[in-house]
Amino acid sequence: MTGHSPLRDAFLANRDRIADQHAALLDPGWRSRMGTIAIFGGGIVLYIASFFLLDMSLSNLIGGFRRLADIVGLMFPPTPETWSRFYLYLGAIGQTLSIAFLGTLLAAVLAVPMGFLAARNVVANRLVHLLARRSLDTIRSVDTLIWALIWINVVGLGPFAGVLAIMCSDFGAFGKLMSEAIETASDKPVEGILSTGGSRFAAIRFGVVPQILPVFASQILYYFESNTRSATIIGIVGAGGIGLHLSELIRVLEWQQAAFVILMVLVTVAAIDQISQRLRGAIIGRRR
Amino acid sequence: MLVIDGMSCVFGQTRAVNNVSLSIPRGAFVGVIGRSGAGKSTLLRALNRLVEPSEGRIHWDNEDVSSLSGRALRDWRRRCAMIFQQFNLVGRLDVLTNVLTGRLAHTPGWRSNLKLWSADDRAIAMAALDQLDIANLAPQRADNLSGGQQQRVAICRALVQEPDIILADEPVASLDPRNARIVMDALQRINRHYGMTVLCNLHSLDLAHAYCDRLVGMAAGRVVFDDVPAALTEAAARELYGMEADEVLDAAPTGATQPDGVPAGAASNASAM
Repeated sequence: MTGHSPLRDAFLANRDRIADQHAALLDPGWRSRMGTIAIFGGGIVLYIASFFLLDMSLSNLIGGFRRLADIVGLMFPPTPETWSRFYLYLGAIGQTLSIAFLGTLLAAVLAVPMGFLAARNVVANRLVHLLARRSLDTIRSVDTLIWALIWINVVGLGPFAGVLAIMCSDFGAFGKLMSEAIETASDKPVEGILSTGGSRFAAIRFGVVPQILPVFASQILYYFESNTRSATIIGIVGAGGIGLHLSELIRVLEWQQAAFVILMVLVTVAAIDQISQRLRGAIIGRRR
Repeated sequence: MLVIDGMSCVFGQTRAVNNVSLSIPRGAFVGVIGRSGAGKSTLLRALNRLVEPSEGRIHWDNEDVSSLSGRALRDWRRRCAMIFQQFNLVGRLDVLTNVLTGRLAHTPGWRSNLKLWSADDRAIAMAALDQLDIANLAPQRADNLSGGQQQRVAICRALVQEPDIILADEPVASLDPRNARIVMDALQRINRHYGMTVLCNLHSLDLAHAYCDRLVGMAAGRVVFDDVPAALTEAAARELYGMEADEVLDAAPTGATQPDGVPAGAASNASAM
């Protein structure tokens, strides 16, 4: 570090006067620093305390590691046993993918109007805004798995219940994310469109939509990937797809086949990730 | 003294900077002029190593700064402070913190990342703001400021780096004439008062004449003029700026400056409306 540059000396020469005029800025004071430390310290204490309160012991975990190692040992080598089983699992994965795709798409389409209704800068009416927000909250507060259990009772076992379950829970999430994206969009393009004599709708169509499209597209793609995993879970309760097979295999302790199915899910999710990355790049486009 | 030796910056097929050699003595106020796309910005960015030069060397006082990396590179960047056309402040941070980022190369990481700036650093930052008459803006968010104010914050950030040279890339191109004067005056004061070397890209010839004691003209990546401002004749300027000459020479608009798509009569019709 350079000890005595002329600039530094010149700046520090005024120190006393600066300190007089801007005392508060020069010294943030112990209050604000203690506040930060208290929040961090308090958080750490709370976290550790909750381990004791909820009776989570580290020794259970360490003791259980042996059994985890046993299970992993039983998984090798992963195999579907027969070709007919392999085709069965492949079909089930396809079903899981379709559930995720149809559910996500339906949720996204339905969330678009709702997202605009819930955005403060689009709908000025406070009642509409409030109703839209609260209904999105209500839908979102019920998890995918619960929605699956509800829809199984309504439309029966199978993939249709899975699609409806994903659609419902993601509708709430998309609506919220989209309304937030709309609210953070800049007003300047909107002003620009209005200044040309464009309608309020045109201002949204040309001023807001191009701003939120990349954000929304990448959220939808991420949710599709995430829903492929969720669809596995809801399959367990009977809403179609690979999950049913997986839970069945674990129940009868067919670890080798279970490991094979897990690997299939892994490959599928990785493939979706690759594809969605390309799509995202194409949609966002390059600035220049 | 800054010595650039045969520097080129190649992007794909284009040579944005083409075999440029220059030496800038300490304390000089040098203006780099030329039409848009002549390579002025790339030249400055390459000196700060935001762009990697493809060929050639950059020396500062006999030290080769074009081959530095890691910590040494960051120290060189600290010594050649950049000022940008679009200010490049962090809009969501307050003005004081923006200026304090100029102290990053002077401050250990654990302190700066926790925002535990030393009392000296705070005093230096406030003194810099005070010197540019914007100390009262210190607690405000940077994106709430006007363009002229933001650029002055950016100059403060550059100053607290305690640099050896200031590289200003079109510092006034986004500002109105009054703010442009304020910002250029500030740069001139720093140059005269502290003997700070300033290398400044300018589009406007008026400003270049008024503030610089040497002009470097660039065209298509090459240096085509290098002399005192008085030596830049109108003919030389016309050659340097080509189609943009009338615009920068403040001449009366003629048909030649209109876009090709606009018929000659259209402009006068439009103004009559």
